[in-house]
Amino acid sequence: MFFILIIVFIRKKAFSLKHSLLWLLAGTCLLISAIFPEIIDTLSSILGIVSPVNTVFVLIIFFILVILMSITSIVSKQSEKIKRLAQYNALLEKRVREMENEKNRIDRSA
Amino acid sequence: MRVLVIIPAYNESKNIKSVIESLKREAPQVDYIIVNDCSKDNTAQICKENYFNMVSHPINLGIGGGVQTGYIYALTNNYDIAIQMDGDGQHDPKFIKDLIRPIINDEADIVIGSRFINGEGFQSSRMRRMGIRFLSSLILFCCGAKVKDVTSGFRAVNKRFIELYANNYAQDYPEPEAIVFAKLMGARIKEVPVIMKERNSGKSSINKWKSIYYMIKVSMAILLYRATFEMGD
Repeated sequence: MFFILIIVFIRKKAFSLKHSLLWLLAGTCLLISAIFPEIIDTLSSILGIVSPVNTVFVLIIFFILVILMSITSIVSKQSEKIKRLAQYNALLEKRVREMENEKNRIDRSA
Repeated sequence: MRVLVIIPAYNESKNIKSVIESLKREAPQVDYIIVNDCSKDNTAQICKENYFNMVSHPINLGIGGGVQTGYIYALTNNYDIAIQMDGDGQHDPKFIKDLIRPIINDEADIVIGSRFINGEGFQSSRMRRMGIRFLSSLILFCCGAKVKDVTSGFRAVNKRFIELYANNYAQDYPEPEAIVFAKLMGARIKEVPVIMKERNSGKSSINKWKSIYYMIKVSMAILLYRATFEMGD
């Protein structure tokens, strides 16, 4: 199951390396714990979790939360950038429109 | 003193012409800019046909983004005072001189036109007044700014705050947040009485159901603003 995940991640890498780093990190951690299940067992006994599979769920939930947060921050930054773009685009459009009006006026009078 | 009136407009095709005409009649010495926030009606077309001074967003950004575009315009064109005035005819341009007087006399950085000081004109519904009173006391509690009409979109700011607002202005329901931001930046805020009219036509941007969301969002924003400012400072 983890191998399938990893394959998906590697494919994701084709989209954007910057944003897939967290996914890769999560995938690597889960892959390592799949190869060496003792890690999960020791981690379970340290945290006092009776069933080791719950430790896996805790890990997965943790990664999902971190990735969601990073996505929220990316969305916020992007909406701010889009807003800026729209605003400066609007101001430019105004200047172009006025220049065209001016040009039309000159053309007509010439 | 060069004065710019920023008029955010969204679907105001019925009102915009009379607003601009009364502005030109009542306050001929000031410049204006209409910020058309990607209206779905023919607001942009009306402005173009009448050669009104207008910028037009390619996408809808909401009132905050529109007002901020106005401030960016004011900043790049070196205006000394910027005034926000709604595009729906609620605000009477004859009060512009009252709004800019405290700034010219250097008594205030931000002047807010308040409909509650003298209690004249359109006073809004009871529920809204209660909401406004709540927000007003929240702002007083959070940053010590004494403002009665916190949601008033009729306000004037000086050059320093044109620059600050051009770089940082709240998005969704920005009026109360803008007060908190300004106060935390050390603004001297003054309120002057104005008389507001009920809007000519068209719907207000805030309806009954949205107002609950509005209250929660704005309260959260004010508290968060306060908290993050202390951390960042």
